Amino acid sequence: MVNNAEMVDQRELLTLEHYLKQYGQQAEIFAGQLELMENGRMEALAAIESLQGISDADDGTVLLQIGGGASLRVKVLEPDKVLLNIGAEVIVERTNKDAVEFLKDRITEMEASEKKVVETLDRLRNQMNEITKRLEQGYQQAVQAEQQYSPPAHGEED
Amino acid sequence: MFSGLRERLQAARAKLGISIEATMTPQPLQETPSAVQSVVQNPGVFSEKPTFANKIKTLIIDRELIVSEKELSDALSELEITLLESDVALQVTDAIIAHVRTDLVGRHRKIGESVDGLVVGTLKGALLDVLGKGFDLTEYVRNHQRPVKILFTGVNGTGKTTTVAKIGFFLKKQGFTVVIGAGDTYRAGAIEQIEVHAERIGIKIIQHQQGADPSAVLFDAVQYASSHKIDVVLADTAGRFHTKANLMNQLEKIRRVMKPDLIVYVDEAVAGNDAVVRAAEFDKTVGADAVILTKADMDSRGGAAISIAHTIGKPLMFLGTGQAYDDIMPFSPNQMVEDLLGDT
Repeated sequence: MVNNAEMVDQRELLTLEHYLKQYGQQAEIFAGQLELMENGRMEALAAIESLQGISDADDGTVLLQIGGGASLRVKVLEPDKVLLNIGAEVIVERTNKDAVEFLKDRITEMEASEKKVVETLDRLRNQMNEITKRLEQGYQQAVQAEQQYSPPAHGEED
Repeated sequence: MFSGLRERLQAARAKLGISIEATMTPQPLQETPSAVQSVVQNPGVFSEKPTFANKIKTLIIDRELIVSEKELSDALSELEITLLESDVALQVTDAIIAHVRTDLVGRHRKIGESVDGLVVGTLKGALLDVLGKGFDLTEYVRNHQRPVKILFTGVNGTGKTTTVAKIGFFLKKQGFTVVIGAGDTYRAGAIEQIEVHAERIGIKIIQHQQGADPSAVLFDAVQYASSHKIDVVLADTAGRFHTKANLMNQLEKIRRVMKPDLIVYVDEAVAGNDAVVRAAEFDKTVGADAVILTKADMDSRGGAAISIAHTIGKPLMFLGTGQAYDDIMPFSPNQMVEDLLGDT
């Protein structure tokens, strides 16, 4: 005798579960990448703020945070000479203003890349939502089929 | 793809053009040598060192101008910075600059000829020089004894498993029969992941339990391919960093057991120069015959794509450009150069 619950394709449900897991793993990777990009962007913003602060400081004295909430007053010897990693592990000397411009360009670039990652993440989430809906429908059908097949327990009709 | 690099190269192209264009106005004879400006014609034909007398003679008699290094130096410095800022490896940047310098300096050009055409031609030549010839996988499989065994290696999280599925889909579309060996027995869910991919693209998969010896799985995949006259074996492996000696030894064992025809290193284009350094390390330890860069659609800088072939001396085979199975394009140096320097 065939169990009615088997009419709901268990294999399809299993495949959908695999898809969901797979999309979830991909989404995790992209979310991690987005976090890295965002950290990079925040770091660049902080660097811009610092460079501008140093440039505005009249005598070149700034507070240097050394961790644990402790800071030192330090004098920047050459506030207009910034050593900058421009890419490919190459470090060049730039003026304060040029370094800020470079960092702003990098931020724009990172924002464009972040936008693409977010778009990909959105697509993945939409696909995951679709799969989740189909899975829920499948589970509900399975439960209904199970209930229809199962005889009522003694005393339930009393 | 590589939009940032494209913008920068277009700016460098304009700057080089302006530097040469500025030299096009014929100067009176009493001008100092440095004021005599020059341009080029037929790259490769003339290449003598331009002297003042040469320039004047060429200008008056031949109605031609000669480019000198001095006139290009600013534009070349800018091009150098442009490439470095795009994460193009230093040695590759040097090679491109050297090519442009050699190609332009000392060359003759008829007055009135297009400067832009000259600059674009030179830049294209320089890029093609470092990009190599690419790798035609279809041609390789067609001309090689079957089954062709391809081993995929690389660090964690770069999209290796998805790339294996994409290559499988690509080869299947080309009319080849394919089997996938689920050699990533380490990462939780990796076998299920490649199984789902294989099912969706209709390719046979050989798998063992999680934790099994990957060499055994891939050996079985090769045996299956041989006995069923399958054209290509795609061997997935677990991601690993080249600094982990035990995992690299495992990869070495896989290589000994399955004897791959091709070892393909997979990394992500967005990793930039890191991808180039890692590819070189993998090449040193287990070897690499070709490289695939994933997530190229998210890479604005393009540094890895430009640098990898020249740096490690191995061709770039494919670029991954999205999530769908057909979002993978065979790498074509000409197409890439056209995309970067073309007018559209």
